[in-house]
Amino acid sequence: MTHKAELNLQAWLDGELSVRAAAEVERLVAADPAARDLVAELRWTRQVLRAGEVERPVPESREFYWSKIERAIRAAEATAPAPRPSVWWRWMRLVVPIGAAAALAMFFTLPSLRVAPSVAEIENHLEDMGSFSFRSESEGMTVIWIASD
Amino acid sequence: MGSSKPKSKTLDLTSAPDEVLVGAAREGDMAAFEELVARHRDKVYARAFSILRKEEDALDLSQDAWVKAWQRLGQFQGDASFLTWMTRITINLSLDRLRRRQRLQAESIEQMDEEFGGVERHLPVVTPNPTEGLERAELRARIDQAMAQLTWAHRTVLILHELEGLEYKEVAKRMGCSTGTIMSRLFYARRRLAALLQELKAERSRDSQS
Repeated sequence: MTHKAELNLQAWLDGELSVRAAAEVERLVAADPAARDLVAELRWTRQVLRAGEVERPVPESREFYWSKIERAIRAAEATAPAPRPSVWWRWMRLVVPIGAAAALAMFFTLPSLRVAPSVAEIENHLEDMGSFSFRSESEGMTVIWIASD
Repeated sequence: MGSSKPKSKTLDLTSAPDEVLVGAAREGDMAAFEELVARHRDKVYARAFSILRKEEDALDLSQDAWVKAWQRLGQFQGDASFLTWMTRITINLSLDRLRRRQRLQAESIEQMDEEFGGVERHLPVVTPNPTEGLERAELRARIDQAMAQLTWAHRTVLILHELEGLEYKEVAKRMGCSTGTIMSRLFYARRRLAALLQELKAERSRDSQS
């Protein structure tokens, strides 16, 4: 018998074959005593395993066994990492520094964006001539008074 | 989870069904979870032991499985029983541990034999059943002894297919190999187990005669 035929016998026993393939295996089992013996062995192996699983109690008291589980749960909760920031927050963390850098670059390269000093200046350049000048950067104007006496 | 108010003050833990205890545990009730552990710890430990075959490893792993279960209670859908769900967690952790252990070892002839058949290729068919007429306790003892002598891959494939009732493709998924490999491993595992049970029967007969 080929190994493929052996595996087919097993698959038939385990209910893993299609109807057509199962019919082929059934013909083989009916005709071949060696196939029948192999099926019998596979079948009883399966039966004894299912019937004979060993029961194995935990070799520790309920309290001691649980205490270790409880400690591990508490320890895991105490050291749990902080929740991951949301997608929006992660996106903002990327965009805000880039935006700030871009704003600074524009500020230094485009003079029109610079904020003018808010304090207007009044100067008397030529005291002896009795003239005054007023200059306001924010208004973009300069006014000069000349005394007419 | 642990910060919620426990419901167990109003819940009769010993008589509450698993689903009710799971619901309470999900809300942070540790006492309800402890009751689930007490109910199923033997089966969870036994499954870990059946794969790992070492008491200390099985104890450690079964406790890890309970911790994981607590952390993943929200994922329990209730499609299968709580014990089935717990057993799946235990099996997955056991297989992970075995894989890590296997990675540390070099490929061996034994591993190749698991798939392509070593001595099992030439074993005569065992008939009749050498466990026929045995008392249940004796049968269990012999099976346990035979299972302990199998390689981890042969033992695991038998546990997943025969005891957990998983189909070939499901076993393949869990063991990380093809369905063909699983069929082959299962075949040789069964043949090896049959031969070991026959050997054990012969040994006992010799012992009782001498």
